[in-house]
Amino acid sequence: MATLSASPAPAEPGVPAAGFFRRRRRALRLMTIPALAIVAAVIVFPWLFTVYMSAFDWRIGSVAHFVGLANYVSLASNQRFLEAIGHTFYFTALAVVVPLLLGTAAALVFHREFKGRGVLRAIFTMPMMATPVAVALVWTMMFHPQQGVLNYLLTSVGLPPSLWVYSPTFVIPSLVMVEVWHWTPLVMLIVLGGLASLPTEPYESARLDGATEWQLFRHITFPLVLPFLLVAAVIRTIDAVKAFDTIYVISQGGPGTASETINLYLYLQAFAFYNIGNASAVVVVFFVIILALALLLLYVRQRAKWSA
Amino acid sequence: MLRRAAFACAIGIIVSPAIMVFLWMLSLSLKNELDNSTYPPIFIPSAPTLSNYTQVFADNSMGLYFLNSLIVSGGATLIALLVGIPAGYGIARLQAHRTTVLILIARMTPALSFLIPLFTVFQLLGLNNTLTALVITHLVITVPIVVYIMAGYFETLPRELEEAALIDGGSVFTTFRYVALPLARPGVVVGTILAFIFSWNNFVFGAVLAGRATRTLPAAVYNVLTFEQLAWGPLAAAAIVVTLPVLLLTIFIQKEIVAGLTAGGVKGG
Amino acid sequence: MTDRTNSTHPDALRRRLLQAGAGAAALGALPAGVPAAMAQAPFDWKRFKGEKIEVFLVKSPRGDLLTKYHKEFEDLTGITVGSEMVPEQQQRQKAVIEFNSGNPSFDVIALSYHVQKRQFAKNNWMSDLRPFLNDKSMTTPDLDFADFAKGGLFYAVETDGRVMSLPLNLDPWVVYWNKELFAAKNLAFPKTFAEMVDSAAKLNDPSKGVSGFVARGLKNANVPVWSSFLLGYGGSFIDANGKLLTDTPEAIEAGRMYQTLLAKSGPQGVAGFNWNESQSLFVQGKAAMWLDGIGFAQPLEDPAKSRIVGKVGYGVMPAGPKAQVSALFADGEGISAQSKKKGPAWFYLQWASNKANQTRMLQAAAGAPVRNSAYAAAQQSSDFKAPKEWVECMLKSASIAQPGLPVIAPVTEFRDVFGVALTNMINGADPAAELKKATAEFQPVLDKSEKA
Repeated sequence: MATLSASPAPAEPGVPAAGFFRRRRRALRLMTIPALAIVAAVIVFPWLFTVYMSAFDWRIGSVAHFVGLANYVSLASNQRFLEAIGHTFYFTALAVVVPLLLGTAAALVFHREFKGRGVLRAIFTMPMMATPVAVALVWTMMFHPQQGVLNYLLTSVGLPPSLWVYSPTFVIPSLVMVEVWHWTPLVMLIVLGGLASLPTEPYESARLDGATEWQLFRHITFPLVLPFLLVAAVIRTIDAVKAFDTIYVISQGGPGTASETINLYLYLQAFAFYNIGNASAVVVVFFVIILALALLLLYVRQRAKWSA
Repeated sequence: MLRRAAFACAIGIIVSPAIMVFLWMLSLSLKNELDNSTYPPIFIPSAPTLSNYTQVFADNSMGLYFLNSLIVSGGATLIALLVGIPAGYGIARLQAHRTTVLILIARMTPALSFLIPLFTVFQLLGLNNTLTALVITHLVITVPIVVYIMAGYFETLPRELEEAALIDGGSVFTTFRYVALPLARPGVVVGTILAFIFSWNNFVFGAVLAGRATRTLPAAVYNVLTFEQLAWGPLAAAAIVVTLPVLLLTIFIQKEIVAGLTAGGVKGG
Repeated sequence: MTDRTNSTHPDALRRRLLQAGAGAAALGALPAGVPAAMAQAPFDWKRFKGEKIEVFLVKSPRGDLLTKYHKEFEDLTGITVGSEMVPEQQQRQKAVIEFNSGNPSFDVIALSYHVQKRQFAKNNWMSDLRPFLNDKSMTTPDLDFADFAKGGLFYAVETDGRVMSLPLNLDPWVVYWNKELFAAKNLAFPKTFAEMVDSAAKLNDPSKGVSGFVARGLKNANVPVWSSFLLGYGGSFIDANGKLLTDTPEAIEAGRMYQTLLAKSGPQGVAGFNWNESQSLFVQGKAAMWLDGIGFAQPLEDPAKSRIVGKVGYGVMPAGPKAQVSALFADGEGISAQSKKKGPAWFYLQWASNKANQTRMLQAAAGAPVRNSAYAAAQQSSDFKAPKEWVECMLKSASIAQPGLPVIAPVTEFRDVFGVALTNMINGADPAAELKKATAEFQPVLDKSEKA
């Protein structure tokens, strides 16, 4: 599992023998074993179990029948499941792009020195740490079309009220709003870290050449923080694809099935219908999707690294 | 002057949604039901009441759930640190990218998919409805975070010191313990905090696997939502009880989070 | 969520379905072999002194009430009660997981008949109570089945005579109406479906933020609303051969009525409303009618929660073209088949359903007790809080009640599939097409569950 890509041997005199490296590698591997054992027990085992169960028609309380790939076949033609995939992609796209934009903007603001920066930054990062279930319950109330505080705010500045999560059209954008509120701070922190590590020389010389602020951002800042943005994109994608608490608490996948993502569909199959076989097949498909997305992003990131 | 005003404005726009939601939550928790469901909304309670809080604590054994959450998240974080820090070091020094990918994939797997298999096993072991089972489940959350962040952090550390120590006859372990680990302190802090917070905030495991005596706070908060009675006040109060500890944590260790998160988040994987 | 129905053994399904269709008459005769407990038995409440039982309740006014008086049970019997209350959805989920583990952590469990009874019965998760009922030393003379509403017993007793639980609470659906809003438009409470739709349209006044009608639009939760109409149109859920009747002309008419009421006279966003959004609109005086279970009187009459105290009318479900029916749900308590403390658990069941607790339930307007004597007792009491009109509505509704959901095991899936169809209707979809689609989708699930 562990590949040792030649850590360069010290060039000093008294180069240790090859045995030294072998022993060292063995010791290092030993150090990873407890963690890998835990990962195997609590993560890899459930995966295998799930793959196994996905070949059965089994509801809790009844006898399991082996059905081979039948669960997958029926999923492939299950319109509701296919729609759930669509909702997941829609939700994910918004819940990745919007926090990236806002998070970058916020990072640019917080990168400057100003009075009270520490306190304001702390306030800004609070949503990221707040318990999603608790906050989602408060958002639910805020979304109420007749009595919610959000419509009050809209109408008090002269805008028409919205139906928020009570409308099939707006439910996903509204849920994304909660997600954006929650996770923009994370993007901000990552980008902020990137900004902090930037060298100052290119800016100085560019300024001497008379570059505008926008040009500075476009040609210096942006390319340099791009790797950080990609990291944020990977993390956001993973979290957005499997978002659950917020959707479960606020809309339960509704109205109708308008915000039913794969994860919500999975929950329904597993814990409302107790249809374990089918639910396992959903997990497997879901997992393949997540994996594909992550690999795609990692690939993009690698390419960005090479071209940088 | 105008620029400064515009900048202040931008800060206001950026920060206000974050604080507003919490203030609204606070306001809800301090008002009676009638004020809470009225429209237009009442923002500042006319007669603030703490009855929502007393009710939440009296009816829902919040004290016990708080303790449960502390044990579960604390336990899972501690174990994750014990196994995760050495593993992170091993992975970083072996440049074992495939292992990192495995860890990353673990982090990607939706929590729901762990529930059924783990439940089945706990049943065999007679562990259902125990805190032990919950701690084990929460390892799903904490171990990948710690390993991921630590591997990233150790990679940023210069190797020269360690190599010098090794050449001087130190074992890999003593080098790790006395050279690398002290340098990685900020990474450890951030790994601890993030693992703890993500574990603390987890809802699904507690909701499905825990019983009356072992329930954790987020599941308990959801349970305040009762049938046939609207209870926004108590609900908001419960929400504050569960959120406050992590918020305080965030504010106090803000700097470390900023430092460690960026280093760990960027370099790993 | 507050919707309850019954279920029975698979082999008795067809017969039971027919009975359900036949309506309240089917709630009749007690099966033979269920004795009314005899009065002169040497029964001792202290028999299980020192034991401890675990009780798993649903968070609701009923659950709250029982929990509040657990001390009384402990003093009476010397049995210690450990109890847990969780919201309905979680309770159902946990119940399945715990029973399936083969070693549930509770001895007594509260069940909503419409969702859990058939599931529990199919899996043999509950204990038959007949051995206790037949044992005079185990059964208090107070437990008199003659005092129990027939509707309640119908739910508790299997067609083969087994008694799997004791019923506690009936929940017929009724129409809460705002008298002030009706008076302002010079309208009387509707007597028929047509009048109901008509009144709702007249009362609807978006400019003032007032809706003519509100009820659940949220998928799954919304199915009983449609059932209420379906039953009035003379429709039912399933025929004698296990074939769904949910795309018949009656079902489609009910769907149309649902669509008209909610989309035309309902509040904006009603497609996402559950009972709580509906209630919060109604207590603010912003809805003229609200169709839901009868258990909501308490918050409506509580000045700390409601702006319409004293202005609430409690109306019996208006008559449909074919019948006047109130969709009925119920819940009760049973003993886990795996319990090692069945005796003490049985004592708890008897205590929970005793006259005092049933009367309290009514007094607190926490639900509609299943024991007839509670009504007389509660009304004599000085601190009787429930409005008289509510009690009358309850009694009338119970007399015209029919199960509000089909008697099948995958009832959650049924509600989900049809719930989606109903929500789509609110958002403009054609009722006939939606019901046809939902029926086609659910039929195979039903067939499979009956075969299993």
